[in-house]
Amino acid sequence: MLVSSALVAHTTNLDLVVRHVLAGLGHGIHAGRERGAGVEFSEYRAYAPGDEWRRVDWKLLARADRYYVREAERDSHVAVWLVLDATASMAEPSRSVDGLTKLQYARVLLACVAAIAQRQGDAFGLVVCRGERAEFTPAMRGPRQLQRVLARLNDAEAGGQLPGADTLRTSLHFSRAPGVVCVASDFLDWPSPLSEAMLRLRRMRHDVRALCLHTQAEADAAFDTGPSYRDPEHAGTVYRFGRDVKETYARNRAMHFDEVARVCRQHDVPLLQARIEQVPGEVLRAWLRSHMTGARAA
Amino acid sequence: MNGMSLWWWALPVVLLPILWHRQKREQAKTTPFASARFLPAAEPKQQRVWRWSDVLLLLLRCLLLVTLIALLGDLVLAWRGDTVLVVPGTPPAVVDRETTGFGNAQRFTLPDRDAVTWLHAHEREFEPEARLLVVGDVVMPAVLPRFRHDVVLRTAAAPAAPAERHVAVFSDRADAWRRLFAAADGAWRVVVDATPGARTEVIVWDRPDAPPAGLRAPLWWVTHADGFPELAHTAAVDGMRWADSPRGRLWQADGWPTQDPDGARALFAAWQRLHLGTQPYTAPAQALVPDAAAPAGPASGALRHWLGLALVVLFALERTVTHVRRR
Repeated sequence: MLVSSALVAHTTNLDLVVRHVLAGLGHGIHAGRERGAGVEFSEYRAYAPGDEWRRVDWKLLARADRYYVREAERDSHVAVWLVLDATASMAEPSRSVDGLTKLQYARVLLACVAAIAQRQGDAFGLVVCRGERAEFTPAMRGPRQLQRVLARLNDAEAGGQLPGADTLRTSLHFSRAPGVVCVASDFLDWPSPLSEAMLRLRRMRHDVRALCLHTQAEADAAFDTGPSYRDPEHAGTVYRFGRDVKETYARNRAMHFDEVARVCRQHDVPLLQARIEQVPGEVLRAWLRSHMTGARAA
Repeated sequence: MNGMSLWWWALPVVLLPILWHRQKREQAKTTPFASARFLPAAEPKQQRVWRWSDVLLLLLRCLLLVTLIALLGDLVLAWRGDTVLVVPGTPPAVVDRETTGFGNAQRFTLPDRDAVTWLHAHEREFEPEARLLVVGDVVMPAVLPRFRHDVVLRTAAAPAAPAERHVAVFSDRADAWRRLFAAADGAWRVVVDATPGARTEVIVWDRPDAPPAGLRAPLWWVTHADGFPELAHTAAVDGMRWADSPRGRLWQADGWPTQDPDGARALFAAWQRLHLGTQPYTAPAQALVPDAAAPAGPASGALRHWLGLALVVLFALERTVTHVRRR
């Protein structure tokens, strides 16, 4: 079953959405999960909801009357870092789907990536950039970490601006192990501390994957001409949309995102441009494969 | 509705200052728009709200317009209630006797005997339910008057006092002229003065030479046309020639002074008819039936003076306040 963006808009249960999205995704992406993992026993760990029953040590249950899970030593130490841009501009709503914002969409996609990482046994952490701060959740493995990350994602509210370059540099200091960095943002600020951090991580040979979110109205340059508009991150100026400025808007926007795409291509950062009205499953699939195909769904 | 009241349709003009004085507000309500940076910055939209700036000036301007329209539309306020209209010269005793049933009515003295004409001009000043009583020697109109109000005429012909007519005679035959004037009887009495004065109504010039330049009178009876060049080219009507001159109106006949009584009466009748005007009859006492379809009288202009004054004052105030506001 494919989850539509309308469901994303109206569901607060992130876990449920993630299950639906991943169910619609098929098995292709995480077919090789756990392979090689668990070959070498590492430690016992208390059972947590979400652990698979076959990993429960039944003999230990019989002895101790408690559920324990066998943790395996992994060969790979790939950490997945989820970077969520939760600045005020991410509250931009879809003008066609009620209640759907860029932030909700980004949240669902990052939650899906977290769930996949958890299923593959990878460690995953979260960085939420909002209000000039970077809220940092260290990378760990396991279902509890998934619940923690989902809760953090659920709590993320859009507001403020991106943190400064120094703040981001100290937050993203996970540079030793090779990692996958999934950045979901609208990239309206470019260059920005976030973009510089992305490029720096890429230069440090991390696998950086960018998801740039648009709305259908932005892509079509079709907005209500009635109200006055303001930039949520740069107050003070009033904007007006009309037929006379539609072309200017479309041209400026195309120039901006062309520049974003050019810089990403130059630094070998796969960038997926998606509209939040698109089906999340398909966008997720395209995003995870973007490093292979370089495809851009705009 | 008479034609003048069409001006009242101009009253919506008052809406113009009311609209012009509406306050402008910057549109405070804005919608967040993430990609607004791709738009050119716009001026904050001005929004007119239903609140007014310079309320004093607005009031002055509205009042000015209303006053102007009222002046043009000839505003008449129906402010008179039951009224007793008294013809001047009516004895108070007669008024008191005739005003039974109009005990608490206002008394109003008419400017002259012609009550019907006055009422036509001022009928709009009376309240719709007002009853009117006219007392005195009212002039009888040519046709039965139609009023919207209940009008009662309680008339009585006043005993006319014999009017004095002053005459100055310049003649060698003064006795003949005195005899002629002595024949005047009845309604008026002729007084022959030695020298013409302010009350002199007729100068009899029975001399061949021209009269002195300063001598003036409403009417001249002239026997010799030689002294009056105005009479040279006029045609004779019934044996009498007449002309208007700076001295007054000139009548000239050859046979004057008339010796027979009939001729004298005819002369006095002509004097009365042609020069003094006919004496109107007294209208009969009656109650006029109110007629709702009666045409409203012409605009009386009762408030014209005050409205004009108010207009000037308001205009001056408006200019002053505007000037003060600009500084």
